[in-house]
Amino acid sequence: MLLASYYLWIAPHILLAFFLICLLGRRSQRQLPIFLGYVVFELVQFIVLFTIFLQSPFPTAIYKWTLVVGDGINCILELGVIYELANKLLLSRSALASTLRPALQGILALLLLGAAIGSGAFSGISVQRVNNIFEIVNFSSNLIEGGMVLALFMFAHALRVSWHSWVAGVALGFGVSASIDLVSAALRAQWGQRAFSAVDLTQMAAFHVCVVIWLVSLFLADRTPPFPDGKLKISDLELWDQELQRMVQR
Amino acid sequence: MTIAIIFIFLGILALVLTIYLAKGHLSKGGDLEKLAIRLRPVDVGAFCNLISASEQQYLCEHLPSREFRSIHRERMGAAIEYVRCAAHNASILMRLGDAASQHSDPSVRQAGEKLLENGLRLRLYAIQVIPRLYLSMAFPKARPTSEILADSYDNMSRQVVTLSCLHFPTHGMSSAL
Repeated sequence: MLLASYYLWIAPHILLAFFLICLLGRRSQRQLPIFLGYVVFELVQFIVLFTIFLQSPFPTAIYKWTLVVGDGINCILELGVIYELANKLLLSRSALASTLRPALQGILALLLLGAAIGSGAFSGISVQRVNNIFEIVNFSSNLIEGGMVLALFMFAHALRVSWHSWVAGVALGFGVSASIDLVSAALRAQWGQRAFSAVDLTQMAAFHVCVVIWLVSLFLADRTPPFPDGKLKISDLELWDQELQRMVQR
Repeated sequence: MTIAIIFIFLGILALVLTIYLAKGHLSKGGDLEKLAIRLRPVDVGAFCNLISASEQQYLCEHLPSREFRSIHRERMGAAIEYVRCAAHNASILMRLGDAASQHSDPSVRQAGEKLLENGLRLRLYAIQVIPRLYLSMAFPKARPTSEILADSYDNMSRQVVTLSCLHFPTHGMSSAL
């Protein structure tokens, strides 16, 4: 059990560091700069927490507050990534922006309401204030994140918008991780202290799955089947460009 | 207890739906050369006739109320089928547009982007129009819909013709439309 928890804590972050190197190597980070910030922060948080963990005697209070503050910053960055994904995948297209923006805002408002209800119900999860804050931040961010990712996938499915594989992979990773975390946060609220370690392991495993999805999607090449280049004449192009302009202006 | 169960259920549902919906984006794109076969014929003129307000008014005035309602339901059912076919074709043409928008040639790229944009617009209209057509089925006196969808489809078809004229391999799509 102890070995599993060490593995699930350390291995995903090693994979995440490898993912960051690959991301920078392919220069793909330009597509999602906030996501890059999130990945870097996640790694910095891990290094800080791991360093505190190695201290003897173990400073419990410092560790917990670092975790809570880090989780709060992570939550803001994750919301930023969701906005970035929505913008990249749907809102950047002028045909969709005016219709989908209010729809996404409405969904966000509903999720915030759900998070407020859930946070109210789960507020007395522990006698320790720091644990309660952590649980509320964790639960709310997962509910909003999972709901928004699902909404993005639903809109993309309904409109048949094609996403380039690695960006879809980022969204899928967040969606899977947030959904599992949401279930485990609710279980922790239900069973209390007894479920803490099992839930922690589940959440770490979910993050592991999430990082693996990101890595796999990054390695899947942009697989839109290429069309062969036609032999075009400049005069033809100019003629049809004019024709295209005329049609577009209709 | 109840709230915890609700959130557990919502979490599992979100997980299953996210994986199901993401599958399409991560799976292989398929053979673009075979897309033309999947296109369904859409007669824009016939569709315009079905949703024409004057035609509806004429039928309402010249047919007994019961007969008008029955015929109107059939007409709206046919119009829904047309919209579905147009939306289906739009999703196929959007893939063509997506491929063309990554082409090295700027003219082809521009035509592809326009096609993609129009395809998205058409699918968005289709999502809005279908419930209105069902509503019109239930309440025959209501005005069914505007002709925006027909115009949009017509515009999109023209862009496929433009692409094929730019020597971009559309694999017979312009003739299938």
